[in-house]
Formats: sequence, structure tokens, C-alpha cells
Amino acid sequence: MSGRKIVITSGKGGVGKTTTTANLGATLAKRGRRVILIDADIGLRNLDLVLGLEKRIVFDLVEVAEGRCQLRQALIKDKRFDSLAILPAAQTREKDAIAPEQFAAIVASAAEQADYVLVDSPAGIETGFRNAVAGAAEAIVVTTPEVSAIRDADRVVGKIASEGKPIRLIVNRLRPEMVRSGDMLSVEDVCDVLSVELLGVVPDDEEVIDTTNRGEPIVLDESNRLRAIYDKIARRLEGELVPFTSFDQPTFLGRLIGALKVG
Amino acid sequence: MRGRLDGLEVALAGRDLEEALEELQARLIDQPSFYRGSSAVAYFGATLPSTEQVKRLRLILSGAGVSLRAFRGSNEDLEALARAEELEFERTGPALSRSARSLVADFAGARNDIAERRKRGEASVRRVKPEPSNQRAVELRLVETPPGTLYHTATLRGGQTLHHCGNIVVVGDVNPGAELIATGDILVFGRLAGIAHAGAQGDEAARIYAIDLAPTQLRIATFIAAEDPAEDRATPGPAAALARDGQIVLVPLARLNLPEFSGAAPA
Amino acid sequence: MHQLQDEGQIVNGGAAGERKDAESKSAKLGRAIVLTSGKGGVGKTTTTANLGTALASRGASVVMIDADVGLRNLDIVLGLESRVKHHLLDVLEERVSVDDALVPGKHGERLFLLAAAQSREKDEVDTPKMQALVASLRERFDYVLIDSPAGIELGFKNAVVGADEAIVVCTPEVAAVRDVDRVVGLLGNRFRPQLIINRLRPQLVRKGKMLSVEDVNAILRLPLLGVIADEPEIIVTTNRGEPLALRATTPTGAAYHAIAARVAGEDVAVPMPPVAKASIFERLGSIFGGKRR
Repeated sequence: MSGRKIVITSGKGGVGKTTTTANLGATLAKRGRRVILIDADIGLRNLDLVLGLEKRIVFDLVEVAEGRCQLRQALIKDKRFDSLAILPAAQTREKDAIAPEQFAAIVASAAEQADYVLVDSPAGIETGFRNAVAGAAEAIVVTTPEVSAIRDADRVVGKIASEGKPIRLIVNRLRPEMVRSGDMLSVEDVCDVLSVELLGVVPDDEEVIDTTNRGEPIVLDESNRLRAIYDKIARRLEGELVPFTSFDQPTFLGRLIGALKVG
Repeated sequence: MRGRLDGLEVALAGRDLEEALEELQARLIDQPSFYRGSSAVAYFGATLPSTEQVKRLRLILSGAGVSLRAFRGSNEDLEALARAEELEFERTGPALSRSARSLVADFAGARNDIAERRKRGEASVRRVKPEPSNQRAVELRLVETPPGTLYHTATLRGGQTLHHCGNIVVVGDVNPGAELIATGDILVFGRLAGIAHAGAQGDEAARIYAIDLAPTQLRIATFIAAEDPAEDRATPGPAAALARDGQIVLVPLARLNLPEFSGAAPA
Repeated sequence: MHQLQDEGQIVNGGAAGERKDAESKSAKLGRAIVLTSGKGGVGKTTTTANLGTALASRGASVVMIDADVGLRNLDIVLGLESRVKHHLLDVLEERVSVDDALVPGKHGERLFLLAAAQSREKDEVDTPKMQALVASLRERFDYVLIDSPAGIELGFKNAVVGADEAIVVCTPEVAAVRDVDRVVGLLGNRFRPQLIINRLRPQLVRKGKMLSVEDVNAILRLPLLGVIADEPEIIVTTNRGEPLALRATTPTGAAYHAIAARVAGEDVAVPMPPVAKASIFERLGSIFGGKRR
């Protein structure tokens, strides 16, 4: 039984594709799934950095595509998990170093050894994005609740939907206090515009930057609330119906403001 | 076919050359006068056309009033053919000479070994002790000069690479994401933060020197090493990396003159 | 050594800018500056909008080109999305003249936008025509700012092709620094890019949870134009289409004005976010120590 092949993409850069790929992958691995993460951002690779694996890279995606090594030689096992491995992108090459068919073949080959293959797409809608989508059978679109990001996500949803692949949405870096003050779009607003099944809502967390700098996915931190949120996302991805919990944010003075959907 | 500022580019790469020529002919017949008067540059990818095929190409193009001006590619043989056909040659991509190309293949082979051994949990490669020679002493004579040193006076940014048969000297930093590969030694007069591979064709006596040795990864011959993040960084300052007892060790420059680390090959 | 570096950078920024301005004026050619980063989401578009606004408010004539074909955003950030009638590809494909496509800014200075196309692709941009367009705009405007898309693919290359100067935007994150470094390498010898560091959070830097300006420039080694702090207002004003540079008295607005002055060659100090005083909780926390990267 071949694993699921999911591309994580967004259109707009910087909304959290790589962080999402790393954390979702780590969460699925913790739940006992065999997970392979593939960094499709040739030339601007970051997935290895975010997982702290950059020093262990010997082979990369392009070398697998060119037949200079086997996939299994290029995969780097993350020792913190039982069943998480990544295939890093090449840093010294360009996105046209690999053709969509080659990339799709590698994803298919990875899917034979894993339950989940998550492909971290580059930003934009050019060759790199097209390659990343070529390998996948499903898509997760990541957006932040900002107008530019949503507009870009919409473009990407349009492109993927025309290929008939199922799409789900993660709204990332939500700031409930800004939604309350009307300075940020709400999750409902985002879903209205994109009309895509909602997979999860991840609040903004200032720890995330530090953990990505240090190469430690935030879901390893048991005290961080994002861990439970990614767990819910993983469960929904596996087909469970997990309700979106309301997130009451008491202010410093202890008042209860209205509930907001987060989780 | 693609329009270019200076004429037409005809891409015949990635498939059967005969088919491509047929298709080209068909397309030009469709629009006979559109390209009239322009010149064309032909791109063959990895294929090397025969003189027959070049003749056909010229014929097809001249039928549409297009002159063949140049070939485009990164292949030495193609360049030679272009000269023979009195055409210009435009170089694309990394202009790897034949020897450099074989070097790349060798590096891949060496890295293959590294990956295999890492999978098996091994670090070392058993050295083969040379058989004692029972021939009489060879006459001393001048041997060919050792390969030259590539001398690069600029910082290497992420994604940039230097591959060289010989030694490499960089005056500047080597940023994370940059890569140095040398068959000889590597010396960085600055901060080495990228990847350096010395002795890339198997010379285990090769060394890597840097003013600030803080690499993402070091490779000497078929040994590979990365910093253990749990350990504290060794004392900063100029240091050398060398292979000893199947491992890569870092030696501060000041200690390099100790007898056990002298220029003699590792035991 | 650190101080020397700083002084060198200020002098570089000012003198280089001054020289460029002088050169341009004498040749009557405007300056074409591409803003790029490699990594997405670091604030290129916001920076382009604010820098353009600030330069225009100083009396310069400015045209901003959104080179992110298919994912246009500069119009939103300037609040002009409803006024865009024609876009870059309409001009490059000669369906309209560039004057018909230029959208004047909302506030009456000599500021114009050439929007990207939303439903087209980046590989439809003809590179020599893009180069020619930028060259012709340089003859009419003091500044041509080109907002590059993320990445290092064709979109980026087309954004760079007409420019003669570059500004790279970086956030204090390891991944962003690596990407900017790659871009600087790709820009090559033709450019000596200047750096804007965006989204700095001084409290996090102090706690050792974010790279400092020195950390970033230890790798990038670029002349520093300015550092912008991360403020929620930036998102708000972006969503509303009113760049903060319109309010020169706000800290962020002032920072952009200082950057604009430095770009123009004035010997203005590098704008840095004010260092907030440590709260009592932070001071208590630091007694127990934290692991610094």
C-alpha cells in the first residue's frame, strides 16, 4: 500500500510552509507513521535547517534525480523520531535541474517506503512550485490571515484545483487579539474567500522563530500549545473528526473576551 | 524554437535528433516567411549531431531564409564540431572540461562510499599497506609538476562552489551553503562555514585549514565529519582538519608542530 | 572592530548613494533599484511601498514596478488595487502605452505604480523588453523601484535585469540569512547590494531568542541601510493600503524616511529600533540564565 503524497504550498512566501511541513511530519512520526519529508526548494533549501539536519547532508534531491545515488542513501533519518526522514534539496543548483516527471518519480518511490510523503514546496508559482505539485496527489495550502497571502493562496488553489487534487487549508500565525480589534481577518473570512476544507488553525507563537533557528521543531516542546494543535491537525488529516476548539483569551486583567476558533 | 534578441534559438535537445529535425522542418514550412533573414543558434543538449545532421539542419533553415550562426552547449566535442563547421559557439552552464566532468563523477563515487559507510555505522576505511618493493631503487627524475592551486580572493556566498584538481586557497569567507571540493588541500583565509572536501580523489593526507573553522561539514578523502552540537566548540582561532586513525580531527594551529602531527603521513 | 564596521557602512551607504544620485542627475538618468531577498515573506513589497512613498515625499519622482507576475501584491499594499486598469504585461506586449498603465499614488506626490498581471505567468515576461522598459522609465523618473518576487527563478531574474542597484531585505532568521546570502552570490559582481533588516524584535534579541543585527551581518557583510522593528501596525497598514511611511512621526515611518535619505546619499545615521527597557519579568528570568545560541 503506497503512502499518501501531499504537497504543502502557499503562493506567498514566508507564511510557514517549511515550518508546517517539519512540524506536521514530526507529529505524524510521533503517532507512529512512517514519514518522509522532501524539500523541493532547490537552491534555497531550508527544510534541513529547520530540523537541524543540515550538517548530515551527503546527497540531495538532484543527485537522486540524476541517478548518482539511490534514494535511500540520500535520506537523512532524524534520530529524535523513530520513523522520520528527509530528502534535502540541492543548494548549489537551480530549479530547472529537475523535471516534473523526475520529481514525481522520486515522490512515488518515497511513497513506497512511507505512510506519508510531505513535499515542502517553494514560494511562488513557477517551475519549483510546478515540480512540487507534480509529485503530489493532495495539497495542503498554508496561508496567513492577511490580504496578500490570501490572494496568493487563492491563485494557488485555482491552479491545483484544476488538476483535480483535493486541497485542504491551514491558517497560520493567527493573532486573536488582532482579529478582535478588526485588524486581521478572521478564520471565517479566510475560509469564505478560499472555499477550501479547513484542516487547522495555528496561532502565532514567538517561540517558533527561535526553534527554527535552532533546528528543533516546536512540537518537541511539551510545554508549547502548538504541539496539541499540530496533533489535532494530524488527526484530522487521518480522517478523524476533531472539532475546532474555541480559544478563550483572557486579557491581562482576566476578562473573558468572546471565543475565537483556534485549534 | 524561441525568439531571442539576436535571432532564433532552435532547441533540439532531449529527444531523438532525427525527429526533432523533422518537426523543425514542419514548423518552418508552416510559417515560411516569418523568420526570413534571421540567424539561428542551435542547442543540442547532450547529443552530438553528425555532420550529416548538421548539413540537414542548415538545409532546413536556409529553406526558410534562416542562416545557422552558432551552436550552444557545454560540451567540448560540440565546440570542436562548431569550429569545424565554421560556426560560433556559445557556452552554457558550467563549462566542465572532460577531466573536470570525470572529477565530478569521482566525487560522487567517494560520496557513495561515505553514505554507505555511514549507513553501516562505520567511520573508517582500512588503509592498504603497500607491498614492500623488491625492485631496485627507481632513478630519481623530475616528475610532473603537482597540480596547481586555485587562488580565489573573494567570499563565497551560499550556493557557490569551487571544484579544483589541486589545492584551493580562498581569501575571504566560505558562507554556509557554499562548497569547496579539491583533490589537494584547502586553505581558507577567513571563516569556513560551508562544506569543504579535501583529498576528494582519495588522498587521506590532505588537510583543511581555516582562520575560523566553523564548517557545516568537513570531508577528507572518504571520511566525513560534522560538528556534534552537544559538544562545545573547540577553542576558536586558526586550525587545521586532518584525517587520523580513520577520523577527522581538528588541531589548533599552534599545536600543529607537535611531532605526532608533523607533516608525516598518519600511521 | 565592530565600530569601525559600522562607520564604514554609514560612510558607504551615504557616499555611494550620493555618488549615484550625482551620477544619475548629470546623466539625467534615474536610479533603477531592485528589492529582493530570496526568501518570501520578509517584507520586500512592504519595503518597496514604504521606500517609494518616503522618496516621493522628499520630492523625487518615483515609479514602482511589481515584478511578481501572477501573485501581485504591491497594489494592495499601496491601496491602489481598485485603480489598476492595465498591467506590466499589457505594456510589454504593447497593448497599451506605459503612461496608460501607470497608476498614480493616492497622495498626490510624484509616485506611480506599474502593477503586475494577476492571471498571467512569469515566463511570459520577455526579458529584453523588461530591460528596455526599465531603461525608458529611468529617463523619466528619479527612481525606478522594482519589487522582485520571492525565489531565484525567472521572476527574480527578470526583476533584476533592468536594475543597476540592489537592496536585499532580510529578517533576523537563519533561513532568511541563508537565502539572502544565496541571492547576493547570484547578483554577482554587477551589484553591491545594501541591506535592510526587517521585523527585528529587540526583546527577543535580548533574550537570545532572535538573531541580532550583528549576527545577520556577520554572514552577509553588506552595507546596512536600516533596521525596521516588527510592529503589528505594519500588518494593519498593509491590509489597509496605507504605508507607514505616510506617517513620518511614527517610529517605523521615521525609519523608512531615514532609509530613503540614506538611499539618496544623505549622511543620516542607520535607523535602528529603540531598545526597549527590560521588564521586571525579563530581569528576573535572566538570573536563572538562558542558553544563548
